[in-house]
Amino acid sequence: MPFNRKPQKFSASINEVEIGTGDKVIKLGGASVFPFYTFDGSIGNAPKVGVEISDMGLEGEPAGVKEYYAGCTTMGEIAKKAAEMEGADFVALRLDGGDPNGVNKSIEELIAVVKEVADAIDAPLVVEGCKNAEKDGELLTKAAEALQGRNVLLMSAKEENYKAVGAAAGLAYNQKVGAESAVDINLAKQLNVVTTQLGVKAESIVMNVGTATVGYGYDYVISTLDRIRAAALTQDDKMLQMPIITPVASETWGVKESTADEADAPEGWGDVEKRGVSMEVQTAAADLVSGSDAVILKHPASIAAIAKFIKELA
Amino acid sequence: MTLFDVVFSGNDTVCGLTEGAINDAIAKYGEDKAVALPDTAYSLPCFYAVTGTKITTLGEMKAGLETIKTLQGRNKRLGDVFNSGVATALEAEFIETLKYIDGAQPYEAPCSGHVSDAIIRELGVPLVTGDIPGVAVILGKAPTADDAVALVKSYQAQGILVTLVGDVIDQLMEKGYKTGANVRVIPLGKDVTAVVHVVSIAVRAALIFGNIEPGDAAGLMKYTFERVPAFVNALGALNPIVVAAGAGAIALGFPVVTNDVETAAAVNIKVPKSLIVQPDIEKFNATSLEARDIKIKITNIDIPVAFASAFEGEIIRKGDMQVEFDGSRVDCVELVQMKEMAEVEDHKIEVIGPDFDEMPVGSKQQIAYVVEVAGKNMQADFEPVFERKFHAYVNCIEGVMHTGQRDMIRVRISKDAYEAGFRAKHIGEVLYAQIKNEFDAVVDRCQVKIYTKPEDCTKIRHEVAIPTFDKRDERLASMTDEAVDVYYSCIMCQAFSPSHVCVVTPERLGLCGAVSWFDAKATNQLDPAGPCQVITKEKLIDERIGEYEDVNEAVRKFSQGALEDVSLYSIMEKPMTSCGCFECICGIEPFTNGVCIANREYVGGTPLGMTFNELASMTGGGVQTPGFMGHGKHFIASKKFMKAEGGVARIVWLPKDLKEQVRDNLNKTAKELYGIDNFVDMIADETITTDPEELVGYLTEKGHPALTMDPMM
Repeated sequence: MPFNRKPQKFSASINEVEIGTGDKVIKLGGASVFPFYTFDGSIGNAPKVGVEISDMGLEGEPAGVKEYYAGCTTMGEIAKKAAEMEGADFVALRLDGGDPNGVNKSIEELIAVVKEVADAIDAPLVVEGCKNAEKDGELLTKAAEALQGRNVLLMSAKEENYKAVGAAAGLAYNQKVGAESAVDINLAKQLNVVTTQLGVKAESIVMNVGTATVGYGYDYVISTLDRIRAAALTQDDKMLQMPIITPVASETWGVKESTADEADAPEGWGDVEKRGVSMEVQTAAADLVSGSDAVILKHPASIAAIAKFIKELA
Repeated sequence: MTLFDVVFSGNDTVCGLTEGAINDAIAKYGEDKAVALPDTAYSLPCFYAVTGTKITTLGEMKAGLETIKTLQGRNKRLGDVFNSGVATALEAEFIETLKYIDGAQPYEAPCSGHVSDAIIRELGVPLVTGDIPGVAVILGKAPTADDAVALVKSYQAQGILVTLVGDVIDQLMEKGYKTGANVRVIPLGKDVTAVVHVVSIAVRAALIFGNIEPGDAAGLMKYTFERVPAFVNALGALNPIVVAAGAGAIALGFPVVTNDVETAAAVNIKVPKSLIVQPDIEKFNATSLEARDIKIKITNIDIPVAFASAFEGEIIRKGDMQVEFDGSRVDCVELVQMKEMAEVEDHKIEVIGPDFDEMPVGSKQQIAYVVEVAGKNMQADFEPVFERKFHAYVNCIEGVMHTGQRDMIRVRISKDAYEAGFRAKHIGEVLYAQIKNEFDAVVDRCQVKIYTKPEDCTKIRHEVAIPTFDKRDERLASMTDEAVDVYYSCIMCQAFSPSHVCVVTPERLGLCGAVSWFDAKATNQLDPAGPCQVITKEKLIDERIGEYEDVNEAVRKFSQGALEDVSLYSIMEKPMTSCGCFECICGIEPFTNGVCIANREYVGGTPLGMTFNELASMTGGGVQTPGFMGHGKHFIASKKFMKAEGGVARIVWLPKDLKEQVRDNLNKTAKELYGIDNFVDMIADETITTDPEELVGYLTEKGHPALTMDPMM
């Protein structure tokens, strides 16, 4: 029996969301077929890769990352260098230092960093909070105000603070809203429903549906990404058609495969940095083929590999 | 004078003043002179939002006034009253704008005059999040300066943004009251036209936060009505200009509360829920909040001990106990009752009878607490839903233990809690705060009555509560799937079981046993975007197995296409899926033509050769497994249980404990369906056998109906 190719094309498509301004603006989403199914139809915009930097500077970063940023002393310099990285489409600034259970930097201090970074680059900018929902509600609101006109993506609005982040980013200051849920299609959808009810346009929302490192309950992530993309395309579910962005580095560089020194690790594990890059690349590749429209990484080697991966497949 | 006359004459006055002011300015500066409000990208925001036209010069303003005049209809209809009100506001905006001509700074501290876009963007976020639950516009003069301070303070304490216009500003100054945007009290200006500056805030909120297109007046009014929780407090004698401006406020959806009884009576004003006469200034706060439907979140419960879920499991031993209320020995009861709005005074907590102080240490006492609620969206069906939460609420109090429900409660108060000052009224405070917080979507007013005298408790229990419980039970028992118009989906478990969807009907509760049709209905109303959604049942496909086109559509949608179709009443044909939380599993027993049921608590084997856990492994996961289904305990005695296969007569084996739990109801159902007496005695259990052949023998001996029924496969 001859093989009969049946393209899986859908009338529905993923929303297109622009981040940034000017020449360097990027577009996420736009696909009307499953991830990388270029043989079926248009995948819209190729997935994008972001470089993550932290307000905590280079403290505790792997050697390869430190080496790349060697000579940078200010956040502005680090940001500039990040934007120039081979394969990078955007910069993601993570405000780790704001965590009330950690360094607990003040909002004013963090906003100064946000401004310094924004002024140093013209690449699209994603601002990630400190993971504390209460503080992020205020921090991201202030960041949205400080970055008026830059069309940045603010991450994340969660169930606890979507009103504050959504209203500031999506309504008051015309930025893009990152809606974060924890690996559950219904929670992801519900958050989109209530955020749009707030008045935020569906076209201003990018989802972070949660992530994990490969091997760490990651099958849940795959299944969630799969089901969201399937519902968006096969069922034309408007409340799940937002493009998806997945922060990878912040997950994968914390697991033992990426942190255990060669001396402490089981025999045969090999060089710690290579392992870290491997975990980052594996996770990012899996996210992308399951439906992520953008990933956030930090190691130059990982970013080069994933950029090449996208170029080959898209 | 009627309301029409008052508004029209007020509007005429303002229109005349505006025309005069514009003409004077033109005479002085010429038509080309630029006019603008400072620090806004929205020109003259009110005029721009309503008409879509920007005004930049005096000449354009003059033309603009002609546009406004077209709004000023003089027919004695409410529409013209509202339009004239809007016209009054737009004219006030012109008058105020003229004050800023030539870069003048017409306002000085404490008055702010025009409010900049930056402040609105800043205020907008807490308004959207509800951190600022409302905006009060206080206009005129309070009876005394102390009244003014008390009123402003009451709003401030609730986080409400207060704007002030007119003499009330002087009254606050006289008392040295602190004002400013940082304390959320903003004096706008002393002329009545300054009120337009707060209208301008509302209008720009609609443009900025609501994406309302300038010129879309209908969209603007809808937005301000639905999303800007503002209201007006007009204090002192109403003059026609104030009334005309008030009509504009009402057009935007902002109710006006006035204490001017005389004028109100003279013009025979009746605009229900929009124009409210409240002679008592002390009640302005409550009246205003209710009129605008503003609900304040209670963050601090006023009790002398802690309140947290950490205390939920706290056990209070006899020796540590100050007093105990024991429903098994004396008359105790807890009850929620829906009342009319007028019958409930919000936050009224009454203790009727002796307090804990007068009860001997360690004694057993009676108590009856009745929570009376009222609300526009309240339904009597929610009463038991609230009531079931009492256990958690009372238990979360530090030093208080609660078990049971209805009239079978036991509450212990510890000596420590008593020493800390915990008394009967504090139970009321907790119930009040929790009900108002958790059920604010349906509860507008809530009051609590706590009875501690034996005769009162006996009376409440037997004459009020028990008849209520009986009525509820009857209603629940008499509720059939046919009697309702809609079912509900429940997808609470999808985190674990991604393709599972429960279809909850009156006769088939969720398989976890925790979500009845009423619960699902309440969940849907309280959280409309949540896990329980309405499923219509208009397109019947097959009555025998309970299959509906609409139910199938819903299941397809909520399972993201994983499930195609389900039946409600069959275990063999398109059975409903199971997640993993089922109370019971029912599985087909081929030798007897029947089914065996195992409940989660039962650890032994069944005639199917499998334990509950082994059965669970093949039933869960959101897949359809004909011949097996998960379900709640209450479903066992339902007339819809396996209706397609012949109903409860198929049940041949139950664990003994479960058998006793369902005995009465199951016997009743079997009697009604088949005329069989004591049907439960025909059913085997683990004390009789778990062997399939012995099971057939037992059923034959008892004459069990399943043996003679058609084969299921």
